[in-house]
Amino acid sequence: MTFTWKIGGEAGFGIMTTGLLFSKVVSRLGYQILDHVEYPSLVRGGHNAYEVCVSDEEVYALKDEIDVLVCLNKETFYKHKARLTLESLVLYDKKEFDFEDNFQKINIPFKKILAYFNGQSVMKNIIALGASLAILGGEIKILTDLIKEQFSKKGEEVVKFNQQFAIVGYEEVKKNYSSLIKNFLTEKQEKKDYLVLSGNDAFSLGAVMADCRLYAAYPMTPSSSVLHTLASWQEKTGMIVRHAEDEISVINTALGASFAGVRSAVGTSGGGFALMVESLSFAGMAEIPVVVFLAQRPGPATGMPTWTEQGDLLFAIFSGHGEFPKIVLTPGDQKEMIKLTLKAFNLADIYQTPVIIISDMYLSEGHKSVEKEWFENLVTNYSINRGKIIQTSKFTLQIGGQGDDAKLKIRNFLRYKITDDGISEKIIPATPGYFYQENSYEHLEDGHTTEDSKERIKQVDKRKRKIRTYLSQDFHLPNFYGEKDATFIFVSWGSTKGAILMAQKELKKRGIETGFYHFTHLYPLDKEKVSLLFEPKKRYILVENNSLGQLGKILAMETGFEIKEKILRYDGRPINAKEIVNYF
Amino acid sequence: MVAVDDFFGYQPTWCPGCGNWGIYTALKKALVELGYSPDKLVVVFGIGCSGNMNDFLNAYGLHSLHGRAIPNAIGIKLANHKLLVIAVVGDGDCYGEGGNHLIHACRGNHDIKVIVHDNRVYGLTTGQAAPTSPEGFKSKSTPLGLIEAPLNPLALALVAGATFIGQGFAGDINHLTLVFKEAFSHQGFSLVNVLQPCVTFNKVNTYQYYFQRVYKLDKDYKKNNFNLALEKALELNQERFPLGVIYQVKKPSYHEKLSPIAYLPLVEKKRFLDYNLLLKEFI
Repeated sequence: MTFTWKIGGEAGFGIMTTGLLFSKVVSRLGYQILDHVEYPSLVRGGHNAYEVCVSDEEVYALKDEIDVLVCLNKETFYKHKARLTLESLVLYDKKEFDFEDNFQKINIPFKKILAYFNGQSVMKNIIALGASLAILGGEIKILTDLIKEQFSKKGEEVVKFNQQFAIVGYEEVKKNYSSLIKNFLTEKQEKKDYLVLSGNDAFSLGAVMADCRLYAAYPMTPSSSVLHTLASWQEKTGMIVRHAEDEISVINTALGASFAGVRSAVGTSGGGFALMVESLSFAGMAEIPVVVFLAQRPGPATGMPTWTEQGDLLFAIFSGHGEFPKIVLTPGDQKEMIKLTLKAFNLADIYQTPVIIISDMYLSEGHKSVEKEWFENLVTNYSINRGKIIQTSKFTLQIGGQGDDAKLKIRNFLRYKITDDGISEKIIPATPGYFYQENSYEHLEDGHTTEDSKERIKQVDKRKRKIRTYLSQDFHLPNFYGEKDATFIFVSWGSTKGAILMAQKELKKRGIETGFYHFTHLYPLDKEKVSLLFEPKKRYILVENNSLGQLGKILAMETGFEIKEKILRYDGRPINAKEIVNYF
Repeated sequence: MVAVDDFFGYQPTWCPGCGNWGIYTALKKALVELGYSPDKLVVVFGIGCSGNMNDFLNAYGLHSLHGRAIPNAIGIKLANHKLLVIAVVGDGDCYGEGGNHLIHACRGNHDIKVIVHDNRVYGLTTGQAAPTSPEGFKSKSTPLGLIEAPLNPLALALVAGATFIGQGFAGDINHLTLVFKEAFSHQGFSLVNVLQPCVTFNKVNTYQYYFQRVYKLDKDYKKNNFNLALEKALELNQERFPLGVIYQVKKPSYHEKLSPIAYLPLVEKKRFLDYNLLLKEFI
């Protein structure tokens, strides 16, 4: 069983909160979800919509048909009508508008109920949730419980007041539409505990569990909810969250904190990242670990702030002037986001260089079910690896054995000592008995500025060796899904993963076997190994949410192999399985 | 015992007679007199002739980008608020490229000590007009004379909420040392604007120019009076330069208001592990 529920209405009337409530209700009933929100870049007016795809199994992507459409206004119906089928249920208020089409009509007198119970128009949502639950065959209790949890701070009266709207909506359907009621949401007997996580939630949880202690950001859609979430947790987690004056200050705050010894991260979208890149180069030169969470939206410039695109991949891998190592990770869903966030903080420390995690609006703001148990296992088994960054106490012990002289004289620590793997030891500033500097200029092993030809080459080579070390120690080839022997092989990165996995299932039903390479460790690439993945006799199809096929360009640059077939979408909407299937 | 020489790193490369020498000497003296050793503090350097002090001063140092020393210093302080964190910057660096950071560091009362080498010209890039250059200043980038009025750093910091504003003169090392010591001992954001002749590129604001126009504030000057401080700051318009602590008030620093680091510095805290505290909101 898989169905899509969608609610739409005017912006500013709580559509997003309602959609998330629906996701949580069905999740508590034991089902898995994937959801997606559509909203314009304004606070009031305009159209908001939230859709939730619900299933007994993992949901990889949105599906094309809407099975239940809740119209809080007329516009919702006409905007989404094209995705309805004759079996689709449409919940609406006949008093507000009506339509001729032959869908399953369910009249909910929102206006009348609001007037009767003296409710505000935002409470339409709660009536709609109650009615939706009824028509899908769910019990009302889980919804009234959630309302209680959500409003309990405002007192018993507010809880009761809101609950009654849910109950009235529920009863309205039970009373008048019993013949249309489905059994889609009967509570599962054996159910797992699911977390309903957006990509941004996944990054936030990952950052906390990776012991990130400072997060700095300037609000920018679609990254802002990370700032909100981490800021709201400060008193629990002890993380310091700084909303600085601009993105330049953001990244430099993080670099300062990281220099002083704490794991630090920043979050932004393309425009903010553009402001950060000079400092990213500084991090590369001075060898300061930092994790950058880059949640893409359609550019260039201000672009379409609240929509989705994968347009910043080339920018990310080439970000920053000069040559320096940086690692770019591209998770495809919430689970990969948590895993790679945990890994990113280790990589940043091990290689003492920036690590960029790329998301996009679709992944960042959409939610997906993640088993609580999976999360718990992952974080319990995670261990912090700070590489050659040495905590104060340990280092003092180490120098203690070097005789009295070592204790007395304050010495210049060789922060940029030449090593085989390109990585030098770092002691935390204020470690007694030593000093050193980290430098944005080219420098000697002791950190002091140099313009000497030989020293320059030594340090450039040292930084470059980190890439080699990374490729041999921590790089991962793309994950492969589907049939190894298939003629058709999809190639993608990041959030297009789900739509492709779903398309593969559908194609299999039609007798078309496919394979799929999904890149999560996008840059740097081991070009020898990646080259071997591509065979001339197969048909490779690049799937990207941008207009240039940016991964294709990177693969061509690195391996010489050009992928000619492309499915590209760049209208601000996520790629869906149907358009991939329709390619065949 | 720490001696001034312990702070002496590589041989400085500043021009003979450059004001940086005086600032460098006063800085080392102030640190020694306050009992700091090179392993007990962090200095962030901007880019410019002033920032080149990174190689000449032994200390935990971060030689930052042009304009960005202040946010680096803020990050360092947040990570380990036990450290004395100094930013050594120039006027183009701090009042031009990084001007926004200065304003917000003032209003946040971040406990960092910002020393601005204000030579009213761009030295390292060989002599262009700076934000503090006098109106009409002829330079490589303003051959017809500078059109803009000079920025008033003291007044700017004051209205932006700085809790310590001092001014010193590179030609008076002993007095400058005193101002540094006051600044380093202040709890909260400190700005010390140091009037500094650039013997190579600024032929207007010379030692002679300043000797005639600087004066030390009276012993009974009330440094906690905002209006008086503003009056002193505005004396720039008459080309008069008060030296000393122009303004100082007590106010909690940014880090003192952060509950996560009320007991231990961020860098010394135990790792957070209790994820169940966070998961409830996702169920």
